[in-house]
Amino acid sequence: MSSGTLSDARSPRSERVRTMRLPRRLRNIEFLLLVAVWLINLAAIALVQLGALGATEPTMLGLTLLVSGLTFVMHLELRVIAREADPFILPIATLLNGIGIAGIYRVDIAYGDSGWESAAVRQVVWTALAIIIAILGLVFVRNHRVLQRYTYLAMLVGVVLLLLPMLPGIGLTINGARVWIGVGPFTFQPGEIAKIALAVFFAGYLVTRRDSLSMVGRKFLGLKLPRIRDLGPILVIWALAMSVIVFQRDLGTALLYFGLFLVMLYVATGRFSWVLIGLLLFGGGAFVAGRTLEYVGGRLNNWLDAFDPVSYDTPGGSYQLVQGLFGLAHGGLIGTGLGQGMPEQTPVAQSDYIIATLGEELGLTGVFAILALYLLFVSRGFRIGFAGQDDFGKLLAVGLSFVVALQCFVVIGGVTRVIPLTGLTTPFLASGGSSLVANWIIAALLLRISDSVRSQPRLVV
Amino acid sequence: MSELTLLILRFGFLALLWAFVFGIVYALRSDLFGARVRRLQDAAPAGPTGLSGPGLGTGPGPVVAPALSPTFADAPPAVQSLPTGNPVLLQQGRPMATTGSAMRLVITSGPKAGTEIPLGSEPLTIGRSSESGLQIRDDYTSTHHARLLLWGDEWVIQDLDSTNGTFLDGARVTVPTQIPINTPLKVGATTFELRR
Repeated sequence: MSSGTLSDARSPRSERVRTMRLPRRLRNIEFLLLVAVWLINLAAIALVQLGALGATEPTMLGLTLLVSGLTFVMHLELRVIAREADPFILPIATLLNGIGIAGIYRVDIAYGDSGWESAAVRQVVWTALAIIIAILGLVFVRNHRVLQRYTYLAMLVGVVLLLLPMLPGIGLTINGARVWIGVGPFTFQPGEIAKIALAVFFAGYLVTRRDSLSMVGRKFLGLKLPRIRDLGPILVIWALAMSVIVFQRDLGTALLYFGLFLVMLYVATGRFSWVLIGLLLFGGGAFVAGRTLEYVGGRLNNWLDAFDPVSYDTPGGSYQLVQGLFGLAHGGLIGTGLGQGMPEQTPVAQSDYIIATLGEELGLTGVFAILALYLLFVSRGFRIGFAGQDDFGKLLAVGLSFVVALQCFVVIGGVTRVIPLTGLTTPFLASGGSSLVANWIIAALLLRISDSVRSQPRLVV
Repeated sequence: MSELTLLILRFGFLALLWAFVFGIVYALRSDLFGARVRRLQDAAPAGPTGLSGPGLGTGPGPVVAPALSPTFADAPPAVQSLPTGNPVLLQQGRPMATTGSAMRLVITSGPKAGTEIPLGSEPLTIGRSSESGLQIRDDYTSTHHARLLLWGDEWVIQDLDSTNGTFLDGARVTVPTQIPINTPLKVGATTFELRR
């Protein structure tokens, strides 16, 4: 298939194998899906306007077209420099982003915001910026293995970004959590970028160290336990996560980093005892935090006794959570229709509660479609990791896609009262620039890894 | 805008969303049900190995079943009858394949006997999946069957829990194993060696 006819059977009987190029089949699939996505995104904005304003209004439709145009540029770029990249990542990311903009825009209309006041306009600008960063990232990172060289630099960058909000002067405390930095009118959540740096570091570190973490140790109760001295790394990450809980007062971020490390450790070593040890450590830490730190205890209380009038009425109580649940209930199976609900009744309906906003207006059917999109995105990431040749790329792809999955679980689980609510952004959907930039970088990295998976020299027998 | 129009648009939008989701799933079907298996006619004149029989164990089935069923009775699965566990053969004193000593992977039997893949310093995956570096599309090969990787500069074969196994010099590979140079490795109905 890839090679021509066999040379005749004399002497060395061999021929060189050329890299097989399936001529842009993947890119054509991607283009078809993208066209569908552009239509859906445009329809979502138009429906919001029809439902909430009763007529269409060109500014926002134009801005949606701008985002579509940028994704088209990214598609063209992939045609040139990453032809074999996965065809589903870009359309799914674009669709989630577009639905998110529609949801934010919906709440803007209810608040009466417009121009720069409007979170949707800012979201479009951030989206544009994030896509441009993803495009440039694909140009500069031509091979993901290059990142392995910067393993320890990535660690440094990750830790510095994590600590940045603690600096007096630029650190900001918003809604109780000190995870923001503010420079002039701009605010940024550096922890979002830190998760990528940490994923790179974990991948590079675990590739070199996993033998000692997986081969040695004693067997106990059917589990192969690691040696005491190999517990070092997990304890360090655990201490980091705990300090995020204590000093930055951000439960979600801590859970995210620790979960990321745990999963990458499990994937690298294939040993379940690590997961058990990690869960025990984190469970113990969270239990102590729940007993001693007021805000963690409050979160737990709001979760358990959400419908108790006392906790509903106290400031910082379960009001927000319950309003979100009422919104979801109002939506029912098929929703009130875009633009026809009342999502503005829930505080922060544009960021943490975007899923409640969309759930009210699109209903259970719509929420499940969104969850299915996340599922597909994450499964593509795992698949890319699974098919990869080099262990660094495998681990990185698994880590990056798991971060997206865990973040979805933590936020959507929190909003739907499956787990205690913690502040994290819904990937691609929620209003917030740092999260968008980070997730588009993840998308770009997955595209890059998937391209190098497929464009190795190949022989088909 | 009347109520009715909005209602229709609302349902239309949800339908569109789900149509998109199913569109992706449809495009992914080869991932879900496995890659297509080689048809018998282009495999038949291929080689001495018993390359026939419908998808055993791993087989995604539907593509091959009708064409192949007649040959099933007289073609027992060749791979499974190979001798297993023969570590002595590995100790014959052949030098191990390293990035310096093994420059290419040469197919020695099977449909593409004589073809070769240059070995660089990058790992190579073997399997039926279209992402594999060496894609072997016969019934005995698993989707992600095995991979060649580097430990330091030595080439190592790792079986990825394949159904029918990977054989190094006749012995089934259970743990990642170093590969001596010029030693037959068998995956499905294809044998290959690492050579200078």
